Parts: sequence; C-alpha cells; structure tokens
Amino acid sequence: MVIVEFLIKLAQGFGIGALALATGLLFGGIGRKIMARIQRRYGPPFTQNYIDLFKLFSKGSVSHGWAFDLGLVAGFAPMLAALMFLPIGPFTLLPSDSSLIMIVYLMMMAYLGMAMGVLASGNPNSAIGMSRALMLMTGYEVPFAAVIFSVYLFSKTGYLTQIVAQQAGGFMNWNIVKMPLGFLAIEIALQGMLGEKPFDQAIAPAEIASGPMVELGGKYLGFGMIQHSVGLFLETGIVVDLFLGGAPNFWIFIAKQFVLYFIVILVDAILPRLRIHESTSFFWKLPLFLGILQAVIVIIQGGVLNV
Amino acid sequence: MSEWTEIVDYFRGRSMWMLHYCTGCGAIELPPTMTSRWDMERFGITPMATPRQADILLITGYLAIKTLKRVVYTYEQMQAPKWVLGFGSCTINGGIYWDSYNVIERLDKYIPVDIYIAGCMPRPEAILDAFVKLKEMVQKGEAKGYEKYVKNYEWYKANQDKVLKRTSPVLKEIEKVTKIG
Amino acid sequence: MNSLLALLIVPVIGSAAAAILQRYRLVERLITFLTFSVTFLFLFGIKVGDLFTWHLDFLGKNLEMGLQITPLSIFMLYMTIAFGIVLTFYNISEKSKMKGFLLLLTLAASNWIFMSADLISFFFAWELMGWSSILMIFGGRREAESRQGALYYAMMSIGGSYSMLIGIFLLSNLTGTFSIQSNVSYLMSILSVHPWQVLGIVSLFFVAFMVKSGIFPFHTWVPYTYGEAPDGFVPYLSSVMSKYGVYGFLIFLPLTLGTHVPTVLGLAWPNYVLLWFGSITAVVGSVLAFMQDDVKKLFAYSSFSNLGFILAAIALFTPIGLTAGLFHAFNHLLFNGAIFITVIALISKVGTTRMSEMGGIWQKMPLTFLTFFVGIAAAAGIPPFAGFGSKWMIFQAMISHGLIFATVLLFFASIASFLYLMRAFHAVFLGQLSHRYDNVKEVSAIGKITEVFLLGALIFFGILPGFVLDPINSIVSAFGLKPLPTSGYEYINGFFSSINMVSIFIVVIVAFIFGFVLFAIVAKHKKVPQEDNYTAGQIPQDWNLTPEMYQFSYDFYEPMNKELAPFLKVKIDGFFKGFGESVEYIGGAVKEIFTGNVQIYTYLAVGGLVIFIIAGWVVW
Repeated sequence: MVIVEFLIKLAQGFGIGALALATGLLFGGIGRKIMARIQRRYGPPFTQNYIDLFKLFSKGSVSHGWAFDLGLVAGFAPMLAALMFLPIGPFTLLPSDSSLIMIVYLMMMAYLGMAMGVLASGNPNSAIGMSRALMLMTGYEVPFAAVIFSVYLFSKTGYLTQIVAQQAGGFMNWNIVKMPLGFLAIEIALQGMLGEKPFDQAIAPAEIASGPMVELGGKYLGFGMIQHSVGLFLETGIVVDLFLGGAPNFWIFIAKQFVLYFIVILVDAILPRLRIHESTSFFWKLPLFLGILQAVIVIIQGGVLNV
Repeated sequence: MSEWTEIVDYFRGRSMWMLHYCTGCGAIELPPTMTSRWDMERFGITPMATPRQADILLITGYLAIKTLKRVVYTYEQMQAPKWVLGFGSCTINGGIYWDSYNVIERLDKYIPVDIYIAGCMPRPEAILDAFVKLKEMVQKGEAKGYEKYVKNYEWYKANQDKVLKRTSPVLKEIEKVTKIG
Repeated sequence: MNSLLALLIVPVIGSAAAAILQRYRLVERLITFLTFSVTFLFLFGIKVGDLFTWHLDFLGKNLEMGLQITPLSIFMLYMTIAFGIVLTFYNISEKSKMKGFLLLLTLAASNWIFMSADLISFFFAWELMGWSSILMIFGGRREAESRQGALYYAMMSIGGSYSMLIGIFLLSNLTGTFSIQSNVSYLMSILSVHPWQVLGIVSLFFVAFMVKSGIFPFHTWVPYTYGEAPDGFVPYLSSVMSKYGVYGFLIFLPLTLGTHVPTVLGLAWPNYVLLWFGSITAVVGSVLAFMQDDVKKLFAYSSFSNLGFILAAIALFTPIGLTAGLFHAFNHLLFNGAIFITVIALISKVGTTRMSEMGGIWQKMPLTFLTFFVGIAAAAGIPPFAGFGSKWMIFQAMISHGLIFATVLLFFASIASFLYLMRAFHAVFLGQLSHRYDNVKEVSAIGKITEVFLLGALIFFGILPGFVLDPINSIVSAFGLKPLPTSGYEYINGFFSSINMVSIFIVVIVAFIFGFVLFAIVAKHKKVPQEDNYTAGQIPQDWNLTPEMYQFSYDFYEPMNKELAPFLKVKIDGFFKGFGESVEYIGGAVKEIFTGNVQIYTYLAVGGLVIFIIAGWVVW
C-alpha cells in the first residue's frame, strides 16, 4: 500500500514539475512577447521558450568535469523538490511539510548547486557573475525575510497551506489588503529574485559575457533554463500564496502569478541596469524599511505570540 | 528515426542563437536587424554572448589573418550543430581587399560557410533573408557545414596553417591554435 | 572505578603517557586517539543524577567539592568526546605540531567543566582548559604569528578568568557556599529584590563565557588564534572549546525565570540584551568572514558568527529557543568540524592558507571536496543536511517573540554566511587549477574514513534530528520548561510548523535522480580541459595566460566593501590594542621609578608605609 501511495505521489510530483516547467516557460515566452511589443517589435512566438529548450537538449555541449555536471543537476533538482511543498491552487502534494522557510532554503540549495557548477567551469566571468548574484542576494533576501516574518506573525502559522486557508473568502481577506506594505516590499524583492532589470547585474551579456552562463551550452544551458523557469513559477507562486489568497483552481493560480510577473516585466522594460552595490544598498533601504514597518504594524496590532 | 531527426531539425531551425563576430565592417547593420525596425527575434534568432551558447557564427566583412585565428578558435569552441554565416562580399572573395597582403579572400577555405550574404554592405533585409534561407536549409537537413569540417579537417587545417604561417613573426605557437578542441 | 572520576583520570593518564612518548609522533597520536575512545567508553557508565563529592580543608574552611551529572552535562560530554574521537582519529595521519598530551589535558579539563558541581572546581577546570589550550597554540605553522595568537588568546582568557574569579568570590561571600546549584537558586531568590546586584555578579561570569565563545565585543582574539593554531587542533578549538561558553551561559540563564525583571517584548531585559549581543556577533562574524583571504581565519569568523546564533537562541530561554540553541550547538560542532577537518586536510596538501593562491582542487581531492560541499551546505542551513533544522528553529523562536529587528539581522547573517561559504568554496576548490598543484593527492585512507564518516553524520543527523532532539528535550525539561512535542525521529517540531525531514530527503533524492536521468538521456556532452575556456576569442597561449591569472578569487566581494565601509571603521580590535598599549605605557612609567637609585626606593618605602598606616587606621 505504501508503495502504491508513493508511486501515486511520484506521478503527481512529475505532473506538478511538468506543469510548473510548462508554465514557467510559457511565462518566459509571453514575457518576451510583451517586451517586444513594448519595444514596438513583433516578437518571437510565445512558444519560443519551448523550442529553445528542445533545441538546447538536442545540442552538443562541453563539460568541465563531474563537479560541473553535478552542479548543474543540483541547480534544478532542489527547485523541483521545493515545488512539491508549494500549494498550487487547491492542491499541495505534501501539505504537512509546506513550511515557508524550508521552501526558501531549498531554493537556496538550488542556487548553491548552480554556483558550484558554473564556478567549476573555471571561467572568471562566471565567478564575477556569481559574486554579483550572491551580493544581490544579501540585498533582496533581507526585505523578503522581513515580510515572511510579518506573515508568520500575522497568520500565526508557518504552513503555506494554512496561510492560504486563512485568506479564503474573498478579496477583503487577502493578505495584500491586510498587509499592503509587505506586499510592496516583496514585489520589489521579487524583481531582484528573478534577476530582471534593474537587478540583472549577474547576467550582464555585454559586460561579463552572460556571467554564470558563460561556459554553459546545450543541455547545461537547458538545465539553467529549467531552473530559471521553475524558479519563476515557485517565486511568484509563493507570493500568490502569501498575499493573493492562493486560488480555487490552477488556472486562477497561474493568472495571479502572471499578474505579478507582468509587473516585473514592465519594470524590466523601462529601467536600465544599476551597479551592483547600488542595488544591494537599495534593497536595504526602501524595501527593507517597508518590510520592517509592516512587521512593526503587525506586532502592534497584537501579533506577538507570548510563549 | 528519420522522423525524429526531422522534428529535431524543424525545431533547430526555429531557434537559432547567434554569435556575431564583427571585427571587420558591417557590425552596424546588425542593431537595426535586432531591434524594432526588422526584429530578427520573431524568427527565434537572438544574439548570444559566448560560443558555447551559440548555433550561428555570423562573420561580418573582411577577416585579417590575425582575426582569422580567433574566428577558427571561436568556431571550434562552438558545439555541433553549428552554422557559419558569411556576411558581405569580403567573406566571399575578399571584396575590395582582394589584393591585400593580410586579409583572407575566401572564408570557405578555412571554415565551412553554410550561407553567404553578398553585398557591400548587405542591408538588414538581406540578412533576414539569409536567416530565413538558413532556417529552411536547417529544417531540410541541408546545412551540414559542421560535418563537412570534421570530415575534411585535414584540408581545412592545411589551409589555415598555410595562411597563419604568415603571422609567425608576430604570434607564437600556431600549431596549438588550430588544433580541434 | 567510579565512572565520573574515570572521565578525569583516564585523560590525565593518557596525557602522561603521550607526554613521555611524544618523540614518536605516531605512537603519541595513537595514544591520544585511544584515550579519547576509552574515555568515551566510560561515558556509558554515567547517568543523570550521578554524584561524587569530597571535602577539602582550606584555611580552616571545610569546602564541599563535587562532580555531578545533569542532562546538559551528559549531552555536552557525549558531543565533545565523540567529536574528539573523530578528530584524533583523523590526526593519526596529520603532521602538524599538535601535542597530544595537551589535547588530553584539555579533554580532562573539559570533562571536569561539564561535571563540576561547585564553582571552585569549575574555575580550576576552566583554568586548566585555558592554559593547556594556550600552550597548544604555540606550535602553529608560523612561529612568530602563532606566539602572537597564543598571547592574544591568553590575555583575553586571563581577563575573562579574573572576571569570573571576582564573581565567584562575591557570590561565595554572599552565600557562604561554592555549590553552583545553591548559588544559582540563591541568586534566583534575591533577583526580584536586588536585581542589579544579581546582574552585576552574573555579568562578571558572562564576560568569561563571552570571551571563551568569542561573543561580540570579545570576538577579536578568535581569528588570530584560530588562524595560527596548529592545524590538527583548530577543529577542536572551534567546534568543542567554543561550547564551554554556551554551557556556562546555560548555568546562569535560568535566573530570569519567573522573576519580576522588567521585560522588553515579553522578554526579560537582561536576556534581551544578551540576545542582541548574540545577533550582533552573528552579523559581525559573517560580514568580516567574507572579506578574509585566509581560509582558517574565514572559518574562525564563521565559527563565532554561529556562536552568535546559538547565544541569541538560548537567550530567549523559551522551550523552542533553548532547543534551537542547543540543537544549533550540536549542528555547529558537526558541520564546523567537517569544514575544519577538510580545510586542514587541504592545507596540509597545498601548503598555504591563502585562498587566492588555491583553486580548482576539486579535481585532485574529490572526496574532500564533497565533504566540504556538504559541510558548507549544512552551515548555510540547507535541508536535508544537519544545520537546517536548528537555523529553522532559531528563526521561529525569534519571530514568535516578535523580535523583528533581531530576526532580520540574524537572517542577514545567515545570507551573509552564504557569501563567505561560497567564497571559500570557490576560491579553494573551484575555478582554475594551478600547475603548482599538479602533484596534489587525495587525503590518506584514514582521512578518507574520517571524511566519509563526517559526510554520513551530516546527512544522518540532518534527516533524523530526533536523535539529538530527544536528549535536548530532557535538558529543556530539566530547566523546568515544557519541552517541544516529539513525534518520531524524523520530525522537527517548530513553533509555527513541523516538518518531516525524511520526506524532504526523499523528495530531494527523487528530484536528483530525475535530474540525473534527464541529464543522461539528452544529447551527449564532451569533456574539455580547463584551458579550453571562453576567452572572448583570444588564444590563451598567445598571451601566456596561466590558470592563476584566469582565476578570479581575490577580493571577491569588493563592491560590498563600499557599502559596508561605515561599519568597518569601528574597530573593536583597536580598542583592545589601545588598552594594551596604555597598559604598556603605564607599565613603562612605573618601570621608570625603579631606576636603581637607593634614594628613590627610600622615598617609596616611606610613602608606602605612610599609606599603609593611614589605610590601617581608616579600616580599624
């Protein structure tokens, strides 16, 4: 029985993974299309990312040794694993473990794996890119953490499933209404998390030859693309669950995710790239202030749990 | 199996990432090709930063012998399937530099060129035309320059060595340069 | 033989044997290892509540001295001795100038600290531990620097010891006894009446513990000492010896239970202050760590940064805070041990501690590389390795109190730990392999066994944390708090949520298997040497490009320096240096008096006599 249950979960897990990947790639494709329209171009078909991924997996590539291979696999496997704990619409594969901080740390494992892979290639451009990515991370993760903690205090639970459940019953119950400042902070942090302009210093094609991806080709780049797409799904999904009340079904869920991504794309389209230390300190100013202010408001409203 | 190859080729033709090697003239024709006016991204063609990621090597204008060395190195760092696009008359016959002592005349002698764009300068329309042609060739399975290169490697190598020998007073260790990666 | 006494006597006997045979390095190392193992065996004979007392006649006073076993001490003993076995086993093949007999003396002292029931033995054990470790540090890789490091450590330790000694005398003056338990309960009883007096005494003790654990602002000695200590000793120093402070804090922290001390956010304010010390330590350690170029120093900073996490958690003194702190103490011992053992293995192979001179060594030392990778993953708090659960609990413990600023600071420290770990990882193991290290080999068989064991332990305690949490729960209940609910070895129960580590482990493993399958079935790849790299079309040989030139690892986070510049101007180190200099100045001035001139001595004698008489008159 246990085995049957496990196999069912496994199949569902694959389903979720495939769905998230498909959605992430679709978002990427639509994002490219929107970007093109903003720039008054026709743009690639919105299926372009699928074609690109297919091509990458059919193309030859170079490897710099087993650490390179392992790193790239470790770059997307934990992302996929983290997905299993995310409430997607009404469905969560493993609801009893959907602890938010755990998901955040699993995502970090993906970044660690990716970093190991690209740094094993031995190219200084990838090292510079990685150093920038990590420095940026010290920026956006801090307001992100402040917001996570205020949600913890507000909802008095760490389960994403319960946070979603508490927001049931209409727009006025959503956390975005109850914690608008927190939402604002996390939306700005999302811009950095997704590495879109003005925070795309890590992957600066004309400056450091696309940074971490400099030695990636073929399937390795494909793995990078999967990581980015699944990460896109996961990060927007977390924000939807935290602030936009989850969703009654999958379609509404991705619609809400898309709204978030759409904002990110619009900002991406109009802003130039900042310098790395400027963007890090930016995150420590306005978004962190908003996040902390939100937490303080929650605490004053009686969010403190006396133990 | 051939159906599978056809499918793969179909998608390869729809997604070609380009590395542009623009040390000669003609680089200026590319920005309009990429941006709003002609927009090559609608064919799935995007500029890429490094040879590892790229499918197309676009070489503009004349190639001095010293630059040829880099082109060969870059070409060999790219992974199959890969295609070379010769841009401008100079890659065909040397163009106005046909009698120059330090410019090569035919790119095809050194690396296999899949498609040429004639003209001095070719307009963006011509570039797009070439991309579409290349796409059709790839989808039909005709663009096999990279296989030709492996098959006739000795011939290409001999040609490269012959011309690169002229750089020897300036640059060292030619043998290592043209070794297949 | 009484097991409690055996825990003290066996290491001393082993130490004597090791001291006699110290010319034969292998024999000495074997004796050290065996003594640790035998001590561990005696550990099975002790249980909570064991007591051993004797009486000492001192200046006409009958002092009761004793050894006793509390749940906390048994936890600490198991943890430290087990780690000692692993380390001494590794050290059999290690070649630095570590002296086994001093390590065994430290072990005896360490056992004594954890078992002592009275302040006198606690102080003696503390001093024995301090001095044996100071002597050990002298044998570092670089003669002069290691002497400096040892002196720095000695000065700070002495400062801490004086402070503790004063505390002990003040306390025994008040209560007339040296027993730790009765003193603590006396302090507890008068806390609501004389809070300032109690806090004054306790803070005297806390200074000693803060020094030993390297808590801000007494962290300055840590990098010097760790950086210069003999390679074989550094893991013990950072994994085990920093925990003495934690043990000390835990003796005195129950004071704030059930008293009428003013509170901040529901937390007694002394605890609140301590928590801030912990948080600042965590941040200072992390930030300074990613600016280091010396790999031992980097992990020295990292070590006390983690101690800051522990202190912040235990300062809360709630069930979850205490559990989280102790759990992190255990995890820190484990991952820090793994990291430091791999680092010293590496240093012994490459012969330098500067990270900018290393790189690409993963190709040569794959197992060490993997152990280090899992070690830093655990240190970064990544599931499913050991280290995740405790960090996760610390954040929950902090945030459940609404301590938003401290929590965000700690989270920042956690992210910054990512930075320095990646920096070390990259600069040491990844990137371009220099031709200097063409002949570097993987560690010896003994080293491999140690590394595999540590690797296994990091995963085992990551996915089955219950084996650590169960003893911690008994400690928590011994402190009179309600322990967290337990529900099987694979569960961690936090405040806001609970997680099943085994299920996370399975999910991650399945994802990895899927990743490797995908990796295998798609288009093939081709292995290229590291020279075949993207160089923007330039041919590396034409430009005499060497691997060293193509490795970016020096000043890795340079842009951050700009951001953090205002904070870096504050130099605690400078304060201590200035203090030292002024002491030297006063000493010099005093020395001026003793010129050898008899007349001056006469004046001094007369003056002294006058002062003596006046003082005597006043006192009488």
